[in-house]
Amino acid sequence: MLPTKGGEAHSGTVMLNGLPAVFFYLFAFVAIASAFMVIAARNPVHSVLFLILTFFNAAGLFLLTGAEFLAMILLVVYVGAVAVLFLFVVMMLDVDFAELKSGALQYAPIGALVGIILVGELIVVLGGYAFSPRLAATTGQPTPPLAERANTAALGDVLYTHYLFAFQLAGMVLLVAMIGAIVLTLRHKANVRRQDINQQVARVPETAIEIRKVRTGEGV
Amino acid sequence: MYQAIVFLPLLGFLIVGLFGNRLGARPSELITSGFMVVAAVLSWVAFFTVALGEHETVTVHVLRFLDLGALQADWTLRIDTLTAVMLIVVNTVSTLVHIYSIGYMHHDPHRPRFFAYLSLFTFAMLMLVTSDNLVQMFFGWEGVGLASYLLIGFWYHKPSANAAAMKAFIVNRVGDFGFLLGIFGVFVLFGTVDFNTIFANAPTYIPAEGAGEAGGAVLNFLGYQLDKQSALTVTCLLLFMGAMGKSAQVPLHTWLPDAMEGPTPVSALIHAATMVTAGVFMLARLSPLFEHSHTALTFVTFIGALTAIFAATVGLVQNDIKRVIAYSTCSQLGYMFVALGLGFYSAAIFHLFTHAFFKALLFLGSGSVIHAVSDEQDMRKMGGLRKLIPTTYWMMVIGTIALTGVGIPATIIGTAGFFSKDAIIEGAFVGHNAFAALAFTLLVIAAVFTSFYSWRLIFMTFHGKPRASHEVMHHVHESPPVMLVPLYILAVGALFAGVVFHDFFIGEVYNEFWKGALYTLPENEILEHFHHVPLLVKLAPFLAMLIGFFTAYHFYIRSPETPRRLAESQPGLYQFLLNKWYFDELYDFLFVRPAKRIGHFLWKTGDGRIIDGLGPDGLSARVQDITRSVVRLQTGYLYHYAFVMLIGVAALVTWMMVGNNF
Amino acid sequence: MLPDLRSSIALASPELFLAIAAMVLLMIGVSVGRKATLLVTSLAIVALAVAAVWVAGFSHDGAAFGGMFVMDSFARFAKVLALAGSAATLLMGYNFIRAARFDTIEFPVLIVLCTLGMMVMISAGDMLALYMGLELQSLAIYVLAASNRDSLRSTEAGLKYFVLGALSSGMLLYGISLVYGYTGNTSFAAIAQALAADQRQLGLVFGLVFVLAGLAFKISAVPFHMWTPDVYEGAPTPVTAFMAAAPKMAAIALTVRVTMDAFEPIAADWRQIVIFISIASMALGSFAAIGQRNIKRLMAYSSIGHMGFVLVGLAANSQEGVRGVALYMLIYLVMTLGTFAFIMSMRRTTGHVENTDELSGLASTNPVMATVMTLLMFSLAGIPPLAGFWAKWYVFLAAINAQLYTLAVIGVLTSVVGAYYYLRVIKIMWFDEPVGGFLPMSGELRAVLGFSGAFILLYIVFGGPIGRVASAAAASFF
Repeated sequence: MLPTKGGEAHSGTVMLNGLPAVFFYLFAFVAIASAFMVIAARNPVHSVLFLILTFFNAAGLFLLTGAEFLAMILLVVYVGAVAVLFLFVVMMLDVDFAELKSGALQYAPIGALVGIILVGELIVVLGGYAFSPRLAATTGQPTPPLAERANTAALGDVLYTHYLFAFQLAGMVLLVAMIGAIVLTLRHKANVRRQDINQQVARVPETAIEIRKVRTGEGV
Repeated sequence: MYQAIVFLPLLGFLIVGLFGNRLGARPSELITSGFMVVAAVLSWVAFFTVALGEHETVTVHVLRFLDLGALQADWTLRIDTLTAVMLIVVNTVSTLVHIYSIGYMHHDPHRPRFFAYLSLFTFAMLMLVTSDNLVQMFFGWEGVGLASYLLIGFWYHKPSANAAAMKAFIVNRVGDFGFLLGIFGVFVLFGTVDFNTIFANAPTYIPAEGAGEAGGAVLNFLGYQLDKQSALTVTCLLLFMGAMGKSAQVPLHTWLPDAMEGPTPVSALIHAATMVTAGVFMLARLSPLFEHSHTALTFVTFIGALTAIFAATVGLVQNDIKRVIAYSTCSQLGYMFVALGLGFYSAAIFHLFTHAFFKALLFLGSGSVIHAVSDEQDMRKMGGLRKLIPTTYWMMVIGTIALTGVGIPATIIGTAGFFSKDAIIEGAFVGHNAFAALAFTLLVIAAVFTSFYSWRLIFMTFHGKPRASHEVMHHVHESPPVMLVPLYILAVGALFAGVVFHDFFIGEVYNEFWKGALYTLPENEILEHFHHVPLLVKLAPFLAMLIGFFTAYHFYIRSPETPRRLAESQPGLYQFLLNKWYFDELYDFLFVRPAKRIGHFLWKTGDGRIIDGLGPDGLSARVQDITRSVVRLQTGYLYHYAFVMLIGVAALVTWMMVGNNF
Repeated sequence: MLPDLRSSIALASPELFLAIAAMVLLMIGVSVGRKATLLVTSLAIVALAVAAVWVAGFSHDGAAFGGMFVMDSFARFAKVLALAGSAATLLMGYNFIRAARFDTIEFPVLIVLCTLGMMVMISAGDMLALYMGLELQSLAIYVLAASNRDSLRSTEAGLKYFVLGALSSGMLLYGISLVYGYTGNTSFAAIAQALAADQRQLGLVFGLVFVLAGLAFKISAVPFHMWTPDVYEGAPTPVTAFMAAAPKMAAIALTVRVTMDAFEPIAADWRQIVIFISIASMALGSFAAIGQRNIKRLMAYSSIGHMGFVLVGLAANSQEGVRGVALYMLIYLVMTLGTFAFIMSMRRTTGHVENTDELSGLASTNPVMATVMTLLMFSLAGIPPLAGFWAKWYVFLAAINAQLYTLAVIGVLTSVVGAYYYLRVIKIMWFDEPVGGFLPMSGELRAVLGFSGAFILLYIVFGGPIGRVASAAAASFF
């Protein structure tokens, strides 16, 4: 719910009406419903599929606010890569999720209570939520009007300048993630033959092939 | 010289106490005894220089002891005639007891400890008698108490000895409490604890009658505002309370018979000759104070007479040889207090002096008897020892005739007791005191009893048929010379101390001898009057002695059946006496058991259940409970952990919303 | 932007150096292989040391990258501590991980990257930098905790920490988004500006709670502490030592910076939260540790309790309080490193032991070790005149001066309860029957333990200059 237009931001609230309103409520409702199904579904594969549906609806909400780049990235990265990976993992690792969940169910009443309290408070808070009156004046990086600057370009404007530091740090985080994945999963087993490209490239005919004279009728 | 007298015993104690076990028993004995011999000889020299010579009071400053604001107390040795008399008593008896103990304690494995304690006691006693102020006296007073405790409980593996030691200590604490309050009172009244200053101010302290300023309250005691006269009386009575504890006067006498659990030389030294006379010495030393409080002196007379007759009656029926002598001591101390109460201080000190000789002789003699009959103390299991241990027998007889006061009335032929005890009885006759007449009567009766139980002791122990087992009788043997020689010396004292010294103490050369060490008011003329009593009064103690002797002779030599028949015909009286007037039972009921109940209650309920239960134990138990429940939360399940986090966030959010927005 | 970039890079040069060093080390390790572990470890220690010297001696105050990166005396103080703590654990851990056969070249590299994350956290001037630093640091620790792949417990510890860490990151991000939604900014200075201009807004307080919850998870404060005992116990001991020391310190520094810089205008709100968390942590840390027999688990609860004491200083919201926090972190770091040096030395021929009962009678079998450990335990319990006492003294003093009497009293009471289990360790070492000594300590552990013991013993002597440095650091916020 970012302020999409500078002018409207002054009033402190953004009014939706017409077709955008219809789509907003559609996307929002489906997103919430499918998010609920992610945890409610018995079959883990169904859960992942609901997760993908949630991503799609979130992408739709991004689109409504004019953030088309984020919408596409969400689809490409989360739906195209992460969720599909999840799907593979869930299908390949035959984990009995029902058993895992069974223990958790006895805490459902307390969990529900805590959840309801939190939700209730959130509703109270967000019901009276207001942006700072001077938001327009104080916003760090206001979104430029869509007409002047495309969303993707606007992101590019700040990503490599204003947020250079955070961007570079994200790179370091990814490096750690990569190292971590390798450290935790890479195993050198003695009885597994591994591809050694250097060795392959360095091969010469002398080492690779052996020429034998084969006499007819005698075999090797 | 005076330092040597006081500090040689301390030196002996330190050497033997610290290194005794390394030195061995014999060197320990020789060191302490050697020092004591030197100290004793020096004491006699001091006696001749100070008491019999021209010297006035000698003071030797040792060091500044206390300097707390108005309270200043030096450690100073004060040697006047009174101290000199005490010095020779203490050091002579102590030396003889040291030597005697070499023989008596021969079989004990802890001799170095014993001799160290003996020397410690002697030092503390010397501190007491040489004190120059009340604080110093209290130091010695407590020192002898400590040494007495250690020596009574010397055989600490015997439960009865431990109990007796504790009893002696605790009962003495009661007296000491009064003594301390008395010292405080003196400090309040005179602003000092120094004897010289107190004595100098005492005569002018009580305003002359009609002076008009007597009404001012100077002391608040137990809520009573006391004017000067009453304050002085109360202070004197409190001081006397200390003397009652130390000198075993009714009703604080109960510890003395029990103290006989200690080794016999200890009984001779501490519980006959020296420590128990500390109360007598204290009152004599403070005569300048007591002389101004007629009420206090009257009370002292009463307590003394009561103790004299009480102890004498109890002594009649006791069967333990040492207990008989212990009650005798108690009784004789009563005599001394009667003399003190009458203002006849010199007679009290004279009796103290002679009593030390013959009572130590009796104790050491009884020790010799006990030694002879294999540590048996019950006279019912003795008898017929006269032929077997004749020396001891004769020594005991000398002690007895000295105690009973054998002598020819109206002459100067007599034993030590003849002079000192009879002087007290005669003094009681002429005393100006509400209780003087009563005291005279009681003392004469007590003299009968004294004679009776003393001869009873002799007859039961040495005459008649042997009642001990054949085996014991077979082993009976005379004591070695190291034990007998002290007896000889004491016997000389018991026989001749009276005849030699009575002129000095209570006779012609009174003033030249005492040189003001004892204070008497001008109107106190008892010293003059007691010489001039009717003949019958002079004869009374002598007759009492004869009656006692013949009764004892009749009961125990001529018809040994009589005592038993008498006891059977008067069972109530017999039990009353045998149980010492039920004092112990009374105290047990009044103090000991309630105190134990309170202690038990405070221990089990107060300390155990309330303080420990709610305090350390309870707290730690609650901490353990909390720990268990907290640790149980740590299940190891991931979703529990996540759950706790969520609950935490929810709680915080709720708090921030609700807690701040009412 | 470019002129700004040049000065920004200059200001953040120690961080850049570390980032490059990490990558260079990684390349060395990858090309040489497992043989290079010792080399890479040594170089990593050198790099950390160089960075520490750089930060301490050759950095100047200022803000870089549009305020995302802040360098001041507080950051300098905390960074030196973080670098020193990391270097020390690397030094201590090498022999241990080699003995346990997971001495990969990635281990030192991950520690260097983790330290980089801490430095970013310490210097964070923006919610984004905060989050990035936190994730960089956390992710490295998740991996480190699970780095002993052959140990089930290590793997479990890593996974638990990771999942709960993800939850806490979610909370943190949610809180940040609420704050951003209200103020329109992620920069601390701008947030403070916006908060100062307007009245208190409930939604923003909501965001504050979530942000603090995310940070409290990192410093293992109650009720976000649940991971601590399991992870401390399960992770390899050098990793536990690392986690207990430098990252905790960095998270505290970050919390101080967020509360002091961004949320200063609503101090009344966050102080309540901090007080609650502080009391809960002190109480739980004191009580729960009593039941522990595993010494690493005991140290986990001990660390929870100590975090509660640190937060007492923060709750005071004064320069004195921040100084107390800074000193506490320094002293706690030294004590923790010393204690873990000791724990790593609990080694018999049969292998490492972790149960406190194994310490029985150590005083007779290895008196020097037992003596230093006794000092450490006394110091952790806060017995004067050791350093641990002064740490508590300063935070409680700050709380008293800030009129937080109840908090100070509760702190003192819980430290009394907490003394129980420290004293129990001492009792086991000195009064129980010996069960046999440990193998001799290796040189580096001996050095760390010795330094730690000397520090806490002699702190009273040179506490003055250290206190002045801490005072100057605290002045950054006031």
